Amino acid sequence: MKRKRLFSLLLALVLTLGLTACGENQTSEEQGATNQKSGEATTEEITTIEVWTQDRHDSEYVQAKIEEYNETNTDGILISLNVVTDDYENMLALAYAGGTAPDIASTPVALNTFADTGMIIPLNEYIDSDETYQKVNAPYKNAYEGLNSKDGNIYYVYSGMRSGVRVQYNKTLLEEAGYTEIPEKLEDYIEMAKDITVKGSGETFGIGFTSSSPFERLLEMSAQVSGVYYYDYVNGRYDFSGYKDILELGQRFISEDIAYPDQQGVDNMRALFAQGEFALWSNASQEAGVFTSQIPITDFEWGVGTVPSLTGEVNGALQTNPSKAYAIFSSSEHKDKAWKVIQYFQSEEFIKGYLEEGYSLPITQYMDGVIDKTKIGRLADFSLLEYESVYPTPPTVNLTGDNYRILLWNAVMGHIGIDEAIEDLNKRYNDALDADVASGAVKRLVISDYDPLNPSEGTATYLTE
Amino acid sequence: MNITRKKNIIKTSHKKSGNIATFLMLSPAILFLLVCSIYPFLWIFRYIASDYNGFTANFTGTRNLVRMLNDSTFWGSVLHTFEYAFYKLIFIIPLSLLMAVLLNQKIKGTVLFRGIYFMPTIISTAIAGMIFGFIFATQNGILNSVLMAMNIIDSPIKWLSSQSIVMASITILAIWGGLGNYMLYFLTGINGINEDVYESAKIDGANAIQTFFRVTLPMLSPVMKVILMLAITGAFKDYEAIMVLTNGGPGNRSNVMFLYIYRLIFGSSGGTSQAQIGYGALLSVVAALIVGIVTAIYLYVSRKLDDVV
Repeated sequence: MKRKRLFSLLLALVLTLGLTACGENQTSEEQGATNQKSGEATTEEITTIEVWTQDRHDSEYVQAKIEEYNETNTDGILISLNVVTDDYENMLALAYAGGTAPDIASTPVALNTFADTGMIIPLNEYIDSDETYQKVNAPYKNAYEGLNSKDGNIYYVYSGMRSGVRVQYNKTLLEEAGYTEIPEKLEDYIEMAKDITVKGSGETFGIGFTSSSPFERLLEMSAQVSGVYYYDYVNGRYDFSGYKDILELGQRFISEDIAYPDQQGVDNMRALFAQGEFALWSNASQEAGVFTSQIPITDFEWGVGTVPSLTGEVNGALQTNPSKAYAIFSSSEHKDKAWKVIQYFQSEEFIKGYLEEGYSLPITQYMDGVIDKTKIGRLADFSLLEYESVYPTPPTVNLTGDNYRILLWNAVMGHIGIDEAIEDLNKRYNDALDADVASGAVKRLVISDYDPLNPSEGTATYLTE
Repeated sequence: MNITRKKNIIKTSHKKSGNIATFLMLSPAILFLLVCSIYPFLWIFRYIASDYNGFTANFTGTRNLVRMLNDSTFWGSVLHTFEYAFYKLIFIIPLSLLMAVLLNQKIKGTVLFRGIYFMPTIISTAIAGMIFGFIFATQNGILNSVLMAMNIIDSPIKWLSSQSIVMASITILAIWGGLGNYMLYFLTGINGINEDVYESAKIDGANAIQTFFRVTLPMLSPVMKVILMLAITGAFKDYEAIMVLTNGGPGNRSNVMFLYIYRLIFGSSGGTSQAQIGYGALLSVVAALIVGIVTAIYLYVSRKLDDVV
């Protein structure tokens, strides 16, 4: 009995000590690693600049260029790239809170969380001191309110661009239905899709929509080029009233059985388009790579057209998505060297190779003139349009219920009335905006000289009421 | 007198060292319980009265509570959860019991079939959702092709895009995914019933149906109580496969409460709304209360099941 108790006591002690020891080991290992890291920096006079990125698709090119830089640079810099694809922003914030943030975060991060909280620093001083950088990247021309700049501060500069939404079409199916090009008017576009569906006799369809943000990929963009947007910049309010005509037309895709019967995931729908199951698909410039290498289209020719508008005329800018930017964390102990790394990442030589590999479209006129366009393949079909631009980011609110993309698509599907959906959105978005402005969580964005064709060129003011 | 006192002292010291040993033995488990279970649970309460997006928290007083009371999407999702749980339970429990009884017979191949029926349990729910996406596809789906080939239907059924059918589709997936698990519980319960009882029933001339209703079912009552409780709480918490299969659609018809909470906490692709951990935390507490109340009502109603045996 006594022996048993003694054994129990010893076992408990071993377990408890084991647990404590595990914790201690980990700490000492971490400390060791930190010491080793700082030791490297001081003894060999090499500074490691840690870069985090979310982009895996371009890592072959970026990694090769980093190796080249690490071998040749004379500034004693060693770039260490860490690809974090999952939960990127949360991982960055956690690392910052834990004191292990990288020096540079690649790809855009949300300003309302990273800049407003002081996690990343403005780059204006660095930018102003480098004329070559300004020539290649046009940082002030490509400063977008709420996206990469706020109150005159630029937090990161874009070096690439994903095009706005385009219509990709199956030329064979269009020709069989007697069409050669994409109509400019939405109503005609719907008629064409209907013709193709009718002639397809249940085998092929006019158009296909994905379950992943279907409203965004055609009708929202048609609304944009028609001059309809969900945020009234002049009055600083959300306003969904303008969508009514677009929604009424959009409902025809479903009520008249024009669209492919299912809305599956993006890749499923891409595969169905590539198989010739439907004629019209709409998405941005990433489809150039998708339909040439990921899911190559081999059985028919495919073309690229522009999204239709309500009247056939362009009355508003089409949203584009700038990409590939680099921010410096305020916790970095080597900010000047981090800037040198950014200078390299956004140098003419680096960007030229990147764009010619087809990873992105050029964002500046300068780079557009420098690259060899014969190398970019089908991406050339997605070249930027005159009326493409970046909209200032409307205030991010704590919304109750479904967001506008879900609800407006539900209206298209006929699950909710159009007027009811618009009224509901106007109320919920503005209630949330008013409450968040009152609590100080956000500021009301007002652009009194707002121009829907040049949305990024107005003067932004932020109101606290 | 002295001997008795000495004995008492020895007893007390043994008791004390026993207590220390017990405490030390339990301490790792208590530590893990506190850190991994109690602390996260208390953490939820820290933000229920704030707007918290994972970076900054603003105290908003009773605003989240008022929002919750007026949130028709949330209350709609609560109703859908009850509906889903009802459909799932009325099919999965009788079916799994039937399968357990059938596969408990001494016939060749029962072990193989037990394995086959249990297999969906070990498949990831996300993968199951994707597979059923292909099965339920309207145009090229396997299920519609089979039904049309058998002349059961004339035109394809919109399994996932029709508001009137989608609930049936997610219930089928739930039954497929959970049947093997509950079948295994029932099999364990049936194996625990003494063979002598069956023998005496046989001697008394009971046929198979009488044996099932008069012997097996009553003897299973305590196990049934636990299985039902697990099934109820499980059904109320289901959302992963639904998220992959329908993402709550069409038109929120399959939007269950934990799916809505998940979307709030992790944000959605709306662009203008953000992760709402504070509001999501409040809804989590309310959802937990709802599941707790349902379970408590069930335990109260089913308290007599313990007295059967």
